[in-house]
Amino acid sequence: MAGRKRKKGKKWIVNLVLGVICLIWLIPTVGLLVSSFRPAADILQTGWWKVFPHQEWKAADTIKLSKDVDLRQPIEVKGKTYTDDQLKAGVKAGDDRLIWENRRNREISVQEQGWVASSTLTLDNYKNVISGKEYTLKGADGSETKEKGTGLSQAFWNTLTIAIPATVIPILIASFAAYAFAWLRFPGRKTLFVVIIAMLVVPLQVALIPVLKDFTSLGLNGSYLGIWLAHSAFGLPLVTYFMYNFISQLPKDLFESAFMDGASHFTIFSKLILPLSVPALASIGIFQFLWVWNDYLVSLIFIGNQPGVQVMSMKIADLVGSRGNDWHLLTSAAFISMLMPLAIFFLLQKYFVRGLMGGSVKG
Amino acid sequence: MTKARKVRTSLLLSLCLSFTMMLSACGGSGDAGPTKEPAASGGDTKEITATTTPADDNAGSPLELAMQGKYKGTKVTMFGPFVDADQKKFEDSIKEFEDKTGIDIQYEGSKEFEATINVRVDGGSAPDIADFPQPGLLASIAKTGKVVDLTKVLDQDKLKKNYNQSWLDMGTMDGKDGKIMAGIWNRSNVKSLVWYPKKQFDEAGYKVPETWDDMMGLTEQIAKDGDPAWAIGIESGAATGWPATDWVENIMLRTTTPENYDKWVKGELPFTSPEVKNAVEIMSKIWMNKDYVYGGTKSIVTTAFGDAPKPMFDNPPKAWFNLTGNFITSFFPETAKVDQDYDWFYLPSIDEKYGKPVLVAGDIYAMFNDRPEVRAVMEFFTTGESIKKWVQSGGVIAPMNDASLDWYNSESDKRMAKLVQDATTLRFDGSDLMPGKVGAGSFWKGMTDYVSGTVKLDDALQQIQKGWDN
Repeated sequence: MAGRKRKKGKKWIVNLVLGVICLIWLIPTVGLLVSSFRPAADILQTGWWKVFPHQEWKAADTIKLSKDVDLRQPIEVKGKTYTDDQLKAGVKAGDDRLIWENRRNREISVQEQGWVASSTLTLDNYKNVISGKEYTLKGADGSETKEKGTGLSQAFWNTLTIAIPATVIPILIASFAAYAFAWLRFPGRKTLFVVIIAMLVVPLQVALIPVLKDFTSLGLNGSYLGIWLAHSAFGLPLVTYFMYNFISQLPKDLFESAFMDGASHFTIFSKLILPLSVPALASIGIFQFLWVWNDYLVSLIFIGNQPGVQVMSMKIADLVGSRGNDWHLLTSAAFISMLMPLAIFFLLQKYFVRGLMGGSVKG
Repeated sequence: MTKARKVRTSLLLSLCLSFTMMLSACGGSGDAGPTKEPAASGGDTKEITATTTPADDNAGSPLELAMQGKYKGTKVTMFGPFVDADQKKFEDSIKEFEDKTGIDIQYEGSKEFEATINVRVDGGSAPDIADFPQPGLLASIAKTGKVVDLTKVLDQDKLKKNYNQSWLDMGTMDGKDGKIMAGIWNRSNVKSLVWYPKKQFDEAGYKVPETWDDMMGLTEQIAKDGDPAWAIGIESGAATGWPATDWVENIMLRTTTPENYDKWVKGELPFTSPEVKNAVEIMSKIWMNKDYVYGGTKSIVTTAFGDAPKPMFDNPPKAWFNLTGNFITSFFPETAKVDQDYDWFYLPSIDEKYGKPVLVAGDIYAMFNDRPEVRAVMEFFTTGESIKKWVQSGGVIAPMNDASLDWYNSESDKRMAKLVQDATTLRFDGSDLMPGKVGAGSFWKGMTDYVSGTVKLDDALQQIQKGWDN
C-alpha cells in the first residue's frame, strides 16, 4: 500500500517537472508567435510579454523645471535633489516615479503604477510575407510607383516539388537495399554494408564542390533532377541503415514459408516487407522530409536562387532585404514555413512514435 | 574461425575508412588541381576570343552590336548580393536594355553571396557576371586566374573617359600572371556622411559644423542642452563591429596622408603604429564619453547599426548625429522625408592639409565567361544608363561620369554625387580591401572588444594586427 502511494507521489513530481520543462521549451516559440503579430517599431521598444496586461508606470503629471538648470549638478525637484543619472533611469518618490520626459526642455514626468496592455496587434507581417512586399520605385520626374513583390506561394510549390521526390526516392531505394542486406546472401554483403555505414560520418560539405563539378558537366546544375539526386544521395546512408535495422528484425519464418510457397524476392518485398514496415517508412519519411524542407545549404549550391526554382528557406532569408532592414518579417515567415512540417508530423504521428521504437529491441 | 573473421572485419573497416578519407581528400584537391576555364555554354567561345577584339572590330563595340539586336535571344547569368527591394531596383534599371537588345539577363541574388561565389567558381559553375560588394573577395578569386581580364574586353579609352582614374585603379588587381583589370564599378555609396534630423536641428538653432572642432563643440553644446549627440550602434550579427571600421578609416584619411592609408590597407603600416592609434583615440573622444553617445558607451556594441539612428526620429530627437553610408536611409522610418526631416553633412576635416577626403564603397562587376553577349552586357554596365533607374529611386551613387546630376531625385543624393566628384582624395573602404581574416575578422572583433571595454586600446590593436600574421 505504502509503496503504491509513494509511486503515485513520484508520478506527480515527474509530471510537474515535465510540465515545467515543456513550458520552458515553449516560451521562445510563444514569444516568436506574439512578436509575429506586432509592428516592427513595437518589437524594438518593448518585449513581447508586454502585450499581456501588466503593471506599468503611467504618466500622471509633468513638472517643468527652469530652462537653465545645469544637468551636471544635482537637480532639485519638489524639494528633493536627484542626479541626472537617477532621473534618466527613473527614481522613486513616494508612490510615484520621476523620470525625464523631455530632458532638453527640462520636463520631468511624474508616473504612477497602473494596469496596461499594449494591444497594437497587426496582420501586416503575415500579409507581407504571404502576398509579397510593396516596393516604391521613383520615376524620372520623382513620381512614385508602387510595385508588388512576389510572395511565398511560388517558393512553397518549389519546395514541395523538391521535397516529395527527395523523400520518396531515397526511401524506395533504401528499402530495396535494406531487404537485400538483411535477407539475401551474396558475396561482399558485409563489405558493402560497412561502406554505407562509413558514409554516415562523411560530412556532406566535403562533397559539395566535386558534386557541383559533375553536375555542371552533366548539365544538371539548377535543375530539379539534380537536387533530387543530391538530396537522395546525401540521405541514403542513414535511411538504409534505419530500414535495415527494422527489416532485419522481421520474423525469419515468415519469409521462409513464403519462399516455400513459391514467392519470388520481389513478391516477398512488395507483399510482405512493405506492408510490415509502414511504421518505419513513416518515421524515416518524416525525418527525410523535414531535412529537405529545412535545408538551405544543398539548395543554395545545387539549385540556386532563381525565382522559378527558389526554395522557401532561401526566399525567407531574402525577405529581410540586402541589409537586413526587414528582420521583423522573419517572425511570421517562420510560422508559415512551420505549417507544412507540422501537418506532416501530425498526419504520421502515430507511426512516428512506433517507428522510433523500431530497431531498439533486437530479437 | 571467429578470430579470422574478426581480423577480416577490422581490415575491412580500415579499408573503408581510408576510402572515405580518400574521398574527402579528393574533394579538397579539386580546387587546387588544374581546372579548365569556367565552362562557357557555347563551344565557339575560344574562336571568338581569338579573332575579334573590340579594337579591330569595325562593326562597332559589343554594346552597339547588341543594340542592333545581334544577340537577340541569348542569356547572360548574373550572381550578386542584391535581394528583395534592391533586386527589384536593379531589375528595373536593366529592363530597358533587355527589351532593346533581346538579351535576357538572369539575375540571381543571394544573401550568402560571399560564401557561395567561391564554391560556384571552384565547382565550374561560375555565373557570366558576378557582382562583388567586397573587392578583397574578388582579388582573391582573380589570383586563381579564373576572372576574365577586362583590358582586352572593354575599350580602355572609353573607360578612362567615363571613370575617375581612382575607380579604374581600384579595379586593377593581381591576376594569375601579372596585373589584370578584374572588374568595373557600377554602384557606389558614400561613407563619410553624418546624418541628422534637419527640421529639429534647424529649430534648435544649431549650425552644420564646418570643422572637426566645430563638430566637437556642437556635441558638447547638445550634451549641455540635455541630449547625447551621437547615435552609434555596431551590432550586425556575425559582422558586428564593421561600423567601427568605417569610423577609423574616415579619421585615418583626415589625420594622415593617403599614401599612409594605402600602406595601412595593404598591411605595410601596422595597426599598432601611432597613426592608427591616434585615429582610434580621436574616435574614442566621442565613443567613450557617456554624455556624447545615446544609451552610453555600453550600448554601442548591443545596438544594431540599423536601429541606431531610430532615436533621431523621435520628437523631440533623443540623438542627433549618425555616421553611416547612404544606404542607412533604408532603415529610416518610412514617414521621414529626405531634405526636410533629415539630411546629412560631410564629416568635417580634422587637419586641413589633407583636404576633403571621401570614403566610398561600392559594387565591382567581374566577368567569368567570355561570350560576345556577356561583353555587351559588361560594356552596358560601364555606362551611367545601366543604373539610371536605381539612381532615381535613391540610395545609390553612380560612379560613372556620364551619369547626370539631374537624375538624382533628392537634393541630398545630388550633393552626395557632387561630393564624390569634388573629393580631393577618394579612398575605398579599407576593411573591404583588406584580406578577409583582417578586414572581416580581427578588425571587427578587435574594435568590438575595445568598445565593450574587455581589452585596452593597445591590446586591441595588437590583436587586430595579429590577423595579418596568421
